[in-house]
Amino acid sequence: MTIQQIVNPADIEKQLQQIWEGLVKENKMRASLFNLIVYNQLSPRTDYIRNIVQKIIEKFPCRILFVSFDPDASQNYLKTAVSVVAPSGTETAIACDNIDIGVAGDNLQRVPFLLLPHIIPDLPVYLLWAEDPSSEHALFQPLLSMADRVIFDSESADNLLSFAKTLLDLHTTQKIDIADLNWARTEGWRDLLASTFDSEEKIAQLKSLKNLEISYNARETEFFCHLKIQSMYLLAWLSSQIGWKFLSSQKNASELSFLFTVSGEPQTFHQESIFFIRSQTWEKLGSGTIISVNLESQDGHTYQCGRILQQYHHVSIQISMPCQCDLPYRFVLGQTATGQSLVKEICTKGTSEHYVTMLKELLLIDRDHLC
Amino acid sequence: MEHPLEEKGRLSRNIDPCILVIFGATGDLTGRKLNPALYNLGREGMLPPNFACVGFARREKTNAQFREEVKTEISTYSRVKPIDEKFWTHFQDQFFYHQSAFDDDEGYKALAVLLKQLDAQFATRGNRVFYLSVQPKYFPVIIEKLRQHGLIYDVHQTTDRWSRVIIEKPFGHDVNSAAELQIEISKYLDETQIYRIDHYLGKETVQNLLVFRFANSIFESLWNYKHIDHVQITVAEDIGIGTRGRFFEEEGLLRDIVQNHMMQLLSLVAMEPPVNLSATAIRDEKVKVLQSIRPLAVQEFEHSVIRGQYGPGFINGESVIGYRQEENVSPTSNIETYAALKLHIDNWRWAGVPFYLRGGKRLPKRGTEIAVIFKDAPGVLFQHRGQKNDPNVLAMRIQPDEGISMKINCKVPGPSSPIQPVKMDFRYGSYFGQTPPEAYERLIWDCILGDSTLFARSDEVAQSWQILTPILDYWHNQTETNFPNYESGSWGPKAADKMLGENRAWRIL
Repeated sequence: MTIQQIVNPADIEKQLQQIWEGLVKENKMRASLFNLIVYNQLSPRTDYIRNIVQKIIEKFPCRILFVSFDPDASQNYLKTAVSVVAPSGTETAIACDNIDIGVAGDNLQRVPFLLLPHIIPDLPVYLLWAEDPSSEHALFQPLLSMADRVIFDSESADNLLSFAKTLLDLHTTQKIDIADLNWARTEGWRDLLASTFDSEEKIAQLKSLKNLEISYNARETEFFCHLKIQSMYLLAWLSSQIGWKFLSSQKNASELSFLFTVSGEPQTFHQESIFFIRSQTWEKLGSGTIISVNLESQDGHTYQCGRILQQYHHVSIQISMPCQCDLPYRFVLGQTATGQSLVKEICTKGTSEHYVTMLKELLLIDRDHLC
Repeated sequence: MEHPLEEKGRLSRNIDPCILVIFGATGDLTGRKLNPALYNLGREGMLPPNFACVGFARREKTNAQFREEVKTEISTYSRVKPIDEKFWTHFQDQFFYHQSAFDDDEGYKALAVLLKQLDAQFATRGNRVFYLSVQPKYFPVIIEKLRQHGLIYDVHQTTDRWSRVIIEKPFGHDVNSAAELQIEISKYLDETQIYRIDHYLGKETVQNLLVFRFANSIFESLWNYKHIDHVQITVAEDIGIGTRGRFFEEEGLLRDIVQNHMMQLLSLVAMEPPVNLSATAIRDEKVKVLQSIRPLAVQEFEHSVIRGQYGPGFINGESVIGYRQEENVSPTSNIETYAALKLHIDNWRWAGVPFYLRGGKRLPKRGTEIAVIFKDAPGVLFQHRGQKNDPNVLAMRIQPDEGISMKINCKVPGPSSPIQPVKMDFRYGSYFGQTPPEAYERLIWDCILGDSTLFARSDEVAQSWQILTPILDYWHNQTETNFPNYESGSWGPKAADKMLGENRAWRIL
């Protein structure tokens, strides 16, 4: 909303104050619900991270402390700039502070000291760590110690297994509240499955599931290259919540297959089922996004849930039984469409218990490093 | 006695003519604080019309040179800039310089002559304020000389004019030296003539503490052990010790900040309502709080008293040196630049409520606040899966950005019901549209008026030393081996975090 002004670190608050004084005539209201520290290494993904931050302030104004580290810079530097930002495309009177810190080389060690005086007291501190938490990083622990909640993105992880281990360790031993953008991206599908399987009878069908096929968009972009993660999350979530027992996995050219023992009524019923994660390519849909989930129960019920090509955020659900075929109906992945599930995940207190159990399940399912 | 022609609360109080003599007139405090305070008082019409100021110091200087220096200091340090040239042109004629050593009888004789002349010139009626902005070792000698030369009056014999002495901190070095100093100056001064200054008490927010507590029924009913979990008092500075190395090596942070500022804040936040707003009634209640502080046993020193010393680090992105590398500081110094204490007040109101005090140099930012952290609401309805909501916090910011904020929990708008802490903020600057006066303005004004409410009484000082001297003795005998134990720009040593236990944390300012 205002142009970034480069300032001496000692003048950050003073300069922000001056900008706000200049905005008095525009009736802008300075607002902040929490402090949002964002750390990322400069890369093509930086714009994507900024876009997430923009989505956050559209829903919840906050003080943004955006740290960008330039790993390729030939010289050390530490630059600070301030601006006032507002939700784009709206006439809202609300706007918030944005403090940008650009850093290279050894100056990275100065960043925690630079951030500390600019955290607004009494408001929660959320850290959006856009890098892989399982790799060593000088800034990780210092920033972690400032945060009430840390948001990761498994998309940035080099190795999903290490990522899951690290996060579980942070949560259990360091008692840190965690969230994951990729987990948030699956929220719509989790809602869909929870609302579709909404009776004891249908849950029983899930427990003894015969077939499951999850397909995802395998279109690679600069920002997304770990395309199977969301599908793996959904599978691990289902498995951990329903109680399937993982036996083994296999990786083929275009698909992953997983052998589970499923069980059901009577209690002696146990059967091995093979579930699949398969790739498709949709041009305009987000990379890694789940396209469809098809399920078949032991008693012949099939649930075919697939995105509609012309309306990506609408899912067509068709339920068929051996002697009956229901008319298809639609489920709208609304929050995912507007990015609100990301915002919700960032701003919700505590750590999702489902996410933690899913991570534990993932340690088994991905033990052969499928992602 | 009440003045029959004054309407209380409506008219400014009747202010006597007087001469203010500043000892240490070329010192740092005078330049940064006292001269700008006098200028602002004068400009706002708060000084008596018949007023003069005499700077007393050892350096040779003419009146003209002194006035020029005062002008430069006002231009640099006054809260209102630029200097009002028109006002200053006239006001400067009320400033005089007197050169003398602090122990030179001839100097005091000449001072007496000068003050007589100024009495005649400005009709100041023999009323005097002596401001001792000098090293504590000079307090007794200056007071003795002033008395010897008839500049301090005997309150029992002289009723038509008055003399008052403002004494800067530190008042004593420990409980014994404070008692000795008190005995020494009591030979020449009545307690009503002594104004022990603690500039924190002159700050608007500190004065507002009493109004806030006792003029609002909603807070005072919660102000006790039933509703309050703990209280945090923080005095944080981002600057190091700068050129005060020699002084700090003798004093340390406990003496420099905790014994005076922090204990004053503690007593104001914890005191019972006074019977009236007289200086005696308020100070009586403050002393009672200090008397109720549970003495710390030696075995508690390890866990309830934490000391720290800053090492190298970063402030505002710039690297800064550690304490031991500062000028006039021993490279093996054992002096603390950070202190954190856990105190208990053993009275009915505060039983079981810990008071955490924390002060330090080279912390991430400058700020002083008192934070009252309330007990959790019953978790029957809004504690989801054991996730506690943030406690309510009432934070009174003393400096900078004076104000009061209240942290409460609130439902985030929308169909789901996450709970988010939000902050209601009252800022003096934005609400009243003006910068609050500097503490020294209020305190000098109060002293001229003869109101000692915002000055420390001898028993307050003695009681404060009583609490802290055992800690100083313990530290003196126990060399700290892990100094420096916090980086410049951090919030202090890790041990201070541990002191609060698992369920409490120091606030970020």
